[in-house]
Formats: sequence, C-alpha cells, structure tokens
Amino acid sequence: MKILRFQHLLIMSAMCLWTQMVAAQDAPAASGTAAEEPATTAPATNPPAPRPLPEEKNWRFGVALGFGERTNPLIQSEDIPVLVDLDIAWFGERWFFDNFDLGYELVDSQNFTTNIVARVNSDRAFFGKTNAKYINFSYLGGGALGPAVDPGTGELVEQPLKFKPPKRDYAVEAGFEMLMDGEWGMAALRAFHDVSGTHGGYELSADYGFRWIRGRFSIAPSVGVSYKDAALSDYYWGVHEDEATFLLPAYDVEGGFGWEAGLRTSYYLTRSLRLAVSANYERLPHSVSKSPLVEDEEVLGYFAGFAWQF
Amino acid sequence: MLARLSIIIAGCLGVAMNAVAADPLPVTLVVKPLLCVIDKNETACTITFDVRWKSVLAAEYCLNDSTRPTPLRCWPRADSGEHSQERVVSEEFVFWLSPATGTERVAEAKIEVLRVGSDDRRRERRARHVWDVL
Repeated sequence: MKILRFQHLLIMSAMCLWTQMVAAQDAPAASGTAAEEPATTAPATNPPAPRPLPEEKNWRFGVALGFGERTNPLIQSEDIPVLVDLDIAWFGERWFFDNFDLGYELVDSQNFTTNIVARVNSDRAFFGKTNAKYINFSYLGGGALGPAVDPGTGELVEQPLKFKPPKRDYAVEAGFEMLMDGEWGMAALRAFHDVSGTHGGYELSADYGFRWIRGRFSIAPSVGVSYKDAALSDYYWGVHEDEATFLLPAYDVEGGFGWEAGLRTSYYLTRSLRLAVSANYERLPHSVSKSPLVEDEEVLGYFAGFAWQF
Repeated sequence: MLARLSIIIAGCLGVAMNAVAADPLPVTLVVKPLLCVIDKNETACTITFDVRWKSVLAAEYCLNDSTRPTPLRCWPRADSGEHSQERVVSEEFVFWLSPATGTERVAEAKIEVLRVGSDDRRRERRARHVWDVL
C-alpha cells in the first residue's frame, strides 16, 4: 500500500483550514453603532412571497480553472493533472446530455426520476498517461553476472526490454439510473452494461450525497459503492494471455466491490464566480488492486481554483 | 521565470499606486455581505447586514433600500455612519444613501440572491460524479 504523499496531506490540511476560515467569516456581523446613535430601523421582516423564478435555460455551462491532480494507480503511468473542469449539460423535454452522458427520461415523479442513459466507461481514463521504459535484466549465479532467461521461452534476455502497460479501449455502456432526493440529500442507483463489445461486462452502483449551505459557503460530501463484474474488471485491469510476458505475468481479475468518497466545497464570491476546493478518494476492488498492472490500491484526487457558472 | 515574476510584481505595484493616487469618492457606501445564497429547499436567507458610509463633506444623509418607501435611518450632520440590521432576504434589492432633503442616490450597493441548485428536479437529482470538480 502506498502511503499518501506529503503533498496530498498538505492539501487536505489546507482544505480543512479553508473550511474553518470560511465558516468563521460568514458568522453574522456584530451590531456596531447601536450605542452611539439611536437606531431608527425596522426590525427583521418576514420574507415576501417569492416571485416565480424565470424559466431555466436548457443549457448549463460552467468552467473551473485552478490546479489539481488525480493519482494514477496504473504501473508506469503519470498522475492526471486537473487544471480545467468543464460542466456542459443540456436538458430538453425528455432527452438530455449531461457531461457526455446521453439520456432519456422514462419516469419523473415527486419521489424519483428514472432515466435510460448511455455513457463512456471511466476506467479507461487511467490508460491515457502511460510511459514506456527500457529494462535490463541480468542473472547473478556462481559469482558471475550473466543474461537472464525468459522462463516463458527459455531464451536469453540479452537486450533491454521495452515495457509499457497494455492498451485499453473506451467502452460505451448503457443502462438505467434511478435518482432520488429530499431534505435527507440525494441518492442514485445505477446499472450499466457494455454495449460497444469492448469488455462485455456490467457495473452496479449506489451513491449518496448531501449539500449544506451556510452563508456563502457550501459543502457537499458524497459516498458511493460500486460492483464491477469480472468481465469489466478483467478487461481493464487483468493481464491477458496474449499480453503476458517475462515482465508481466498473466493475471485474471475477479468481480468485486470498490468504494469512493468525495468532498466538494464552494465559497460564492458573486452570483457567477466561486472559489471551489474539492477532494476525493477511491478504493479499488481487492482483485483489481492485486493485479500486476496496479501499483496503488487507491486513487486520490484534489482540486482548488475558481469556478464560473454561465 | 524571473522576468515573469517581475512583470507580476510590477503589475501589482501599478494597481496599488493607482489605488493610492485616485481621488477619493465624495461618498462611499460599504455593505457586507452583498450576496445571499439560498439552497433549493429554502425560500430566503437571514443576513445581518453591516452598512458603513463615509463622506468627504459632512451632511445629513439617509440610508434607504428598494423594499421600503421610507428611509431606514437618517443621520444628523455627519461625515460617516454605521448601521447593522438583520433581514430576511428572498429577492435582490439595493441599499442607497441620499441627502435628507432629496432623492438623489449618492452611493448604492446591490444585494444579490443566488439560488443554488435547479428547480428542475431531474437536473437537481443528477449529481455529478465524485471526481468532478464542479
């Protein structure tokens, strides 16, 4: 298990401090001059009946600029920088496009919404930042150093071997989601199956989140658990027979549960602009974390920057 | 790197110098906070407004707001004043300062209302993935 890097801990600590500072800043201001000048003001009044809000636009567009990072559990890979995050969505009468999820509303009631959705699998994102390495092998025996022997072929390994994690394709998955919300927060149940013939597997997930607003500060924790079956997990994280080498032994990944947790905070500066700080954590399924392709059993992400909502 | 840093420092100094050199406004009105953030299940927010004003010339000023026909408070001949008030806010409105004898707005501050979330429950229920920043 890889211990969290100092850089990550520092960012987590800064986030906690930021939370406390902002909460303190939004405490009600003290009455300043009541003693020196008699107040001739009206007391707090009841809120007037709110006017009906203008109809929402079909489009939603937001952009966040700042600095963040998402660790990459894949061997010989780089962490994924997060400098820009876009929020692009369009909601029609029933069809919607929400950040590359394409959906159609089946049921929308007071208690829940059910959609049919097509999306792109997220595991593939880790395979976009891989590096090739040349590795020398030698064997020490009888006090002398000699070339190593490939146990698979029995041949001598005399030249440095080029090694790069295997390639994986994007998968398009289709499925159903059931969304609920209330004063208790928001929850979602999802079931997706590959429809692109990439991995042929499925994923089930459940998420819960809550948003709390105090003054201009908003904090939204969320947790989620997911089950990815053997076909999906093995396609991305297994070492297939045709990929197995002297360096990378064959490995079959079984289906398993993973979980994740996140914290999103915002401090609204104006109606459109806010400071956004977020952190998230994902624990990979046990069988995935034991794969020779995986060097970390967890994924950690963070971001701090300004977000603009158009 | 050093050149870039120098440009940034020079830029900041330039802004600061401009701020010092600019003529002071005849009357300044500072209201805190200027934004009311309302969650989707709420209809209003309760805010204690801290209102402070300063004038180059002492005069009789009144503090008004756009939700009331009469002034909130008037000061006898003064060059500064403070006012604190707790209010329940559900819509945008404006604080302004006017001479006691006129309707001219010598300084004003707009209080904005932001409703977080969507009235469309399909959008509201569709929270973004834990990895997403926004």
